Amino acid sequence: MATYDLTPRIAPNLDRHLVFPLLEFLQEQQMYPDEEILKAKIELLNKTNMVDYAMDIHKSLYRTEDVPQDMIERRVEVVARLKSLEESAAPLVAFLQNPSAVQELRADKQYNLQMLNDRYQIGPDQIEALYQYAKFQFECGNYSGAADYLYQYRALCTNSERSLSALWGKLAAEVLMQNWVVAVEELNRLKEIIDSKSFSSPLNQVQSRIWLMHWSLFIFFNHDNDKTQIIDLFNQDKYLNAIQTSAPHLLRYLATAFIINKRRRSQFKDFIRVIQQEQHSYKDPITEFLACVFVNYDFDGAQKKMKECEEVEDGNGSTMPLRDEFLKNARLFILETYCRIHQRIDMGVLAGKLNMDYEDAERWIVKRIRNSELDAKIDTETGTVIMEPNHPNVYEQLIEHTKSLSGRTYKLASQLMEQSPAQAAR
Amino acid sequence: MASKFWTQAGASDSDEEEEQSEYEDEIEDAGGDPSAADAKNRYLRATDTDSDDDDGQKRVVKSAKDKRFDEMTSTLEQIKNAMKINDWVSLLESFDKINKQLEKVMRVTEAVKVPNLYIKSLVMLEDFLNQAMANKEAKKKMSTSNAKALNSMKQKLKKNNKQYEELINKYREKPESEEEADDDEDEDADDDESDTFAEDVNAMSDEDEEEDDGKDDDQAEGEGGWEKMMSKKEKLMDKQFMKDPSEISWDVVNKKFKEVVAARGRKGTGRFEQVEQLTFLTKVAKTPAQKLEILFSVVSAQFDVNPGLNGHMPINVWKKCVVNMLVILDIVFQHRNIVVDDMVEPEENETQKGADHEGPVRVWGNLVAFLERIDVEFFKSLQSTDPHTHEYVDRLQDEPMFLVLAQNVQEYLERGGDYKAAAKVALRRVELVYYKPQEVYDAMRKLSEQTEGGDNSDEKAEEIRGPPAFVVVPEVVARKPTFPESSRTMMDMLVSLIYKHGDDRTKARAMLCDIYHHALLDEFSIARDLLLMSHLQDNIQHLDISTQILFNRAMAQLGLCAFRVGLITEGHGCLSELYSGGRVKELLAQGVSQSRYHEKTPEQERLERRRQMPYHMHINLELLEAVHLICAMLLEVPNMAANTHDSRRRLISKTFRRLLDISERQTFTGPPENVRDHVMAATRALTKGDFTKSFEVIQSLDIWRLLKNKEGVLEMLKSKIKEEALRTYLLTYSLSYNSMSLEQLMNMFDLSRAQTHSVVSKMMINEELYASWDQPTECVVFNDVEYSRLQGLAFQLTEKLSVLAESNERAMESGGGGGMDLPMRRREGQDYANAGGGGGKWQDNYNQQGGRQGGGGGRSGGYGGGGRSGQGGGRGGYNRGSQVRGGGSRYQDSSAYGGARRTASSAVRGSQMDGSTRMVSLNRGGHP
Repeated sequence: MATYDLTPRIAPNLDRHLVFPLLEFLQEQQMYPDEEILKAKIELLNKTNMVDYAMDIHKSLYRTEDVPQDMIERRVEVVARLKSLEESAAPLVAFLQNPSAVQELRADKQYNLQMLNDRYQIGPDQIEALYQYAKFQFECGNYSGAADYLYQYRALCTNSERSLSALWGKLAAEVLMQNWVVAVEELNRLKEIIDSKSFSSPLNQVQSRIWLMHWSLFIFFNHDNDKTQIIDLFNQDKYLNAIQTSAPHLLRYLATAFIINKRRRSQFKDFIRVIQQEQHSYKDPITEFLACVFVNYDFDGAQKKMKECEEVEDGNGSTMPLRDEFLKNARLFILETYCRIHQRIDMGVLAGKLNMDYEDAERWIVKRIRNSELDAKIDTETGTVIMEPNHPNVYEQLIEHTKSLSGRTYKLASQLMEQSPAQAAR
Repeated sequence: MASKFWTQAGASDSDEEEEQSEYEDEIEDAGGDPSAADAKNRYLRATDTDSDDDDGQKRVVKSAKDKRFDEMTSTLEQIKNAMKINDWVSLLESFDKINKQLEKVMRVTEAVKVPNLYIKSLVMLEDFLNQAMANKEAKKKMSTSNAKALNSMKQKLKKNNKQYEELINKYREKPESEEEADDDEDEDADDDESDTFAEDVNAMSDEDEEEDDGKDDDQAEGEGGWEKMMSKKEKLMDKQFMKDPSEISWDVVNKKFKEVVAARGRKGTGRFEQVEQLTFLTKVAKTPAQKLEILFSVVSAQFDVNPGLNGHMPINVWKKCVVNMLVILDIVFQHRNIVVDDMVEPEENETQKGADHEGPVRVWGNLVAFLERIDVEFFKSLQSTDPHTHEYVDRLQDEPMFLVLAQNVQEYLERGGDYKAAAKVALRRVELVYYKPQEVYDAMRKLSEQTEGGDNSDEKAEEIRGPPAFVVVPEVVARKPTFPESSRTMMDMLVSLIYKHGDDRTKARAMLCDIYHHALLDEFSIARDLLLMSHLQDNIQHLDISTQILFNRAMAQLGLCAFRVGLITEGHGCLSELYSGGRVKELLAQGVSQSRYHEKTPEQERLERRRQMPYHMHINLELLEAVHLICAMLLEVPNMAANTHDSRRRLISKTFRRLLDISERQTFTGPPENVRDHVMAATRALTKGDFTKSFEVIQSLDIWRLLKNKEGVLEMLKSKIKEEALRTYLLTYSLSYNSMSLEQLMNMFDLSRAQTHSVVSKMMINEELYASWDQPTECVVFNDVEYSRLQGLAFQLTEKLSVLAESNERAMESGGGGGMDLPMRRREGQDYANAGGGGGKWQDNYNQQGGRQGGGGGRSGGYGGGGRSGQGGGRGGYNRGSQVRGGGSRYQDSSAYGGARRTASSAVRGSQMDGSTRMVSLNRGGHP
C-alpha cells in the first residue's frame, strides 16, 4: 500500500507547514509506524517556531516529561525574537487596528506611504517589520494572524519580490486555515503573477508553477465544487509541460480529476496521449487504468487496475473523499468503451468487468439505459445486452459536411461586397 | 621502383628531399637505364647461384660493378678537365652525371656508404667553387652562360653536400676539432630529425616540397645562404650553450628566443628547423616561466608545420605537440603563480622571475585554443586516412592521448575558475566519447591503460639522449586518462558542466551529443525529452553547418533507437525527413553524393570534404535505410489497404511509395539483392497478408548483426509485422466477410488472444473498421456501411466544395488573388486528379483555376518554394534535414507557436500548413 504513497514526492514542493496535514493523514491511515511519523514531525518542527508543539510531540514520542535542553533554549530565543518583532511592528499594527485610521488609506500606494510617513511616522522600516512579524507569526503557527498581516502588508508593499512571497505566505496560511474560497482567490492571483512575470530563468518559473500546483492540490480536492478547476489549471500547456518535466506524479491527480469529470472529453484525448508518453517516467494504477482502457483496450487489465486504484485512493489524503465518485466514473469509462466496440455482451461477463454481481449489474445497466446514457437493450432470455447499432445516417453526414459551407460563402461574399465599393470609390 | 629507392636512400633531410624532386625528372628521363641495369642485375644474381655457368658470369658481375666505377672515374676526370678550363657549364653537366652514376653505383654495390670517389669529387668541386667565388674578378670576366652555371652549381652543390657533410669532413680529415664536435652535434640533430621526421617527410605531399623549392628558387643566391647561416649560427649557439652551462643567462636565452620567433613565417625559415631550435631552447631555459613561454612558441611552431587548410599535421609532430602541451601543464600545475593569459601583453621581462618569485607571473598563451587546434588536427588526420588501413587504427589509438590532455587542461581551467573555457574543453571530450557505445568505450579504456606505459618509456629514452634540461619538470600531470566505468557517467559529468557554464553553441552541441548518446543506449524517451525541451529543432537552421550535421546524426540515431525499442511511428518520424531529399550521405556527412542537376564548384566540394565524418563515427547507412524503409512499410501497408479507393489518399511516406511504384513497374522481380529490394519483397508479401514470408525476407538482411540486441529487435519486428499483417488483412477483406471469429484470426496470424483483441478493438474505435464484437460467440461482426455510388459521389462533392470554399477564403485573406501557396495547392490538385470517379469536368475546372490562381500568386508562390529549397548548394540540404520533427508533439509550445503564426501572413501559410498536417499525422500515429 505504501508503494503508491506520493508523500515523499510531494513534500519537497510544499511549505513546511503544509506537510503537517499530510503527516496527520498518514498517521491516521497507519501506513507507517507511528514513531517514524512523529520523528518526521519533530524534524519538520525544528526549523519552525512551533516549539511548544514540538515539545509535546517529543514527550509523546519518548514518553517522558523531559524536554531536551536545546528545545528549551530555542523556545526562549523564539519568544525573545517574537517580542522584539512585535515591538518594531507595533506602530503599524496599532495603526491597522484602528478602523478609523484604516479608512484613510486609499487605493494609491504612494499616497498611503506618504500619508503614513507624515502623520504616523511609519516608514519603510516599520512596514518591513510588519512583514517579518507576519512571517514569524506564520512560523509560530498563528496562521490567521499571519494571513491578516500579510494582506495588509501587500497593500503597503512596493517591492514586487516581497509582495510575491507575501502572497505565497498568505496562500499557505489560508490553506492551513482551510479557508478554501479565499485560498482559491489567492491561488488565481498568484497564478497570474507567475504567468505574467518575467522570471530570471525559465527554470524558476517552472519551479514556481510546480509549487503552485502542489499547493493547489489541497484546495481543489477539498473545495467542494471545483474539480474542473484543477483540470483548467493543470491541463494548460505550460503547466502540463511543467508536470511532464519535473513532477510527473501530479499526473495522478490530473487523471483522477479527468475520470471524475466526464465533461472534459475533448481535452481527455490529449491527456491520454500525455499519459502514454509519460509511461516510462511515471506509472501508477490510475494512469495505467487509463492506458488499459483507452490505449490498449485491455479490459481485463483495466479491471485489475481498478481494484488497485481503490487501494491507492484509500492511501491518498487529498483524493480520499472522492473515492466512490472515482470508482463510479471509472466503471462507466470501462462500460462505455466496452459497449462501443461490442454489439452483444453477456451480462455475466459484463458484471465481472464492472466489479459487480449480476443483479447489481443489471440494475445498473437498466439505469443507464433509462437515463439514455446507453443505447442498448437487455435480452433476458439469453442473458445478454444488445447494443443498438448507431451508424450515422448518410444524409445526416452529408448535411453535416455542407452545413457550414453556405455560411462561409455568405461571409466571403459580404466581405467582397465591402471591399468592392471601397475600390469603386477610388 | 626508382622513387622508392630514393626514399630509402634518402632521407632524413628535407633538403635531400628537395633534391629528390629535382632529380626525379632526370631519373625518369634516364628511363630504362637504371631499371634495365637493375633487371640485369637481378638476373645475374639469380644466375649467380647457378653452378652450370661460371666464368663468363663472374666476369660480367665484376665488370658491371667496375663499369659503374669506371664511369664515375671518367666523369671525375671530366670534372677535373672542366675545372682546368674553368668551364662551369660542362662542370654542371658532369656534376649531374656523377650524381646519376652514384645512384647506379649504390644500387649495384648495395652499399649504404657512399663511395669515396664520389666524396672526393664533391670535395674537389667545393674547393674549386669556393675558389671561384672568392675570385671576383674572374667571375666578372665569365661569360653569362658560364656565370649562370656557376651560380646554379653553387646552389646544387650546397644542397647536395649537406647530406654528405659528415663524409666530406671525414674525407678532408683535417684537424679541425671544432668542426668535429660540430659534426657530432649535427649528427645528433640529424639523427633526431630522421627519427622523428623521416616518415612525415615522406608522407608529406610533393606539393609541399615543390612549394619549398619554389621559394628557394625565388630567392637570390645571397638569400639561399640563409638557411645554412641559421643552422650554422644555431650550431654556434649550441656550442656556446654546451660549453659552459653556467654562463648561460636568462638574457641570452631570451634574446635567442626572440630571434627565432621573429623568423617565424618569413620566407626560407624551415618550419621543422624552427621547431627544433625552439625545442632546444626549452632545454636551456632558465626559469619555468621562460620555459613555458618557449614551449608555447614550440607548440605554435608545430602547428605551423603544416601549411594550408586541407592537409593535416604530420602525426609525429602531433604527438610531440601533445607531449609539449603536457609539459606545459606540468609547469603550470607545479608553479601556481604562473598565470596563462592571452588578454594582456606581458611585460618584457616577466618571465625572468624565477620559480621562487612571489606573486603572479603572466605568460601569454591560450590553452583552449591550442587544445582545440590539436583536436582539429586529429580529426583532419582521421579524415584523410584510409579507414581500411592499419594506419587508421593506429591513429585512432592516439585518442586516449588527446583525452589525457583535454582532461588535464580542463582540470587546470576548473582550478583557475575559468569554467567557460573548461566547458569548451569538456565539449571536445564529449565529442570524442558521445558516439561510442559502451563496448567501444570499454575498449578505449583498456587501450589507454595498456599502451600508455610504452609510449612513456619511448619519450624518456628520447629525453635522455638530449642534453639535460636546466629546468627539470617533474611529471605532475597524470599521463593516463581516468575514465569512469561507463560512458554514460562520463557524459553526464561533462555535459552537466557544459550546461552550467557553456555558451550557446557549446551547449547546443553538447545537448546533441547527449541526445545521441542516450539514443545509442536505447533510452529513447530521455533522448526525445531532451530534444523537445531544448527546442533545438526550431532553431537548428540558424546554427552552423557542422552543428546541423550533428543534429542530423542525432536524429538518425534517435530514429534507430526508436526502432530498436519498438516505436515504429516515432522512428519513421525521425528518419523520413532525412530520406526525403535522397541525400542522406550529405546530410550525415558520410560521403558525397553526386547530384545530377547541378554541378558543384570545386570550392563547394572542398568545403564538403572538410566536413566529412571520420569513418569510425559513421552511422551505418544500410542499417539506417533498412530501418527507415521497414518503418515506412509497417505504416504504409495498412494505410494503403485502408485507402485503396479513398479519395483522400493520404501518404505516410512518399519515399517509400515511390520506391514501391518503381518496383511494381518492373516486369520481372529477381531475388532481392540490396536493402531496398528486400524491403520491397517483404512489402509485397505483407500486402498479401503473408507475414511469415515478409519476416523471413527481412530477417535475411545481414545488417541485423550490427545490432546489439539482435534477437530482441527481430522478435519485436516479428510481432509488429504480424500485427500489421492482421490489420492489412482485415482492412482488405472485411468487405467480403460478414463475421470472423477471434479464434480464426488468432490462428491465422499467430497472435495471442489479448493482442488480437486489442488490435481489432483499436481499429473499431478509430473507425478504421466498421465492425463490432459479438461477445458471447467471440466474433467480429462487420457492419455493412458500404455507400452506394451516388452517396459516394455526394461525399466527394462535399469535400471538394469545402476545399473550394477554403481556397476562396484564402484568396480573400491575402487580399485578392495573391498569396497562394503553390506546393500546397499542387498537392491538393493531385489528390483530386487521383480521386478518380466522376466529375471529370469539374476537375478540369479546378485545375485550370488552380493554375490561374497559382500564376496570379506567382510572387508569393515563388517565395514559398524558394523558402523551402532555395538555400542553395549543400546548405539547403542541411536545412531540410533539420526540419525533422520528433515523434509525438509533446511540447505544445511549438504548435502554439505555429498557431500564432497562422494569423501573421498567408504567404507562409503553405509551410505552416505543412507543419500542422505533419503534426496531425504524428498524432494519429501516436494514438492507434
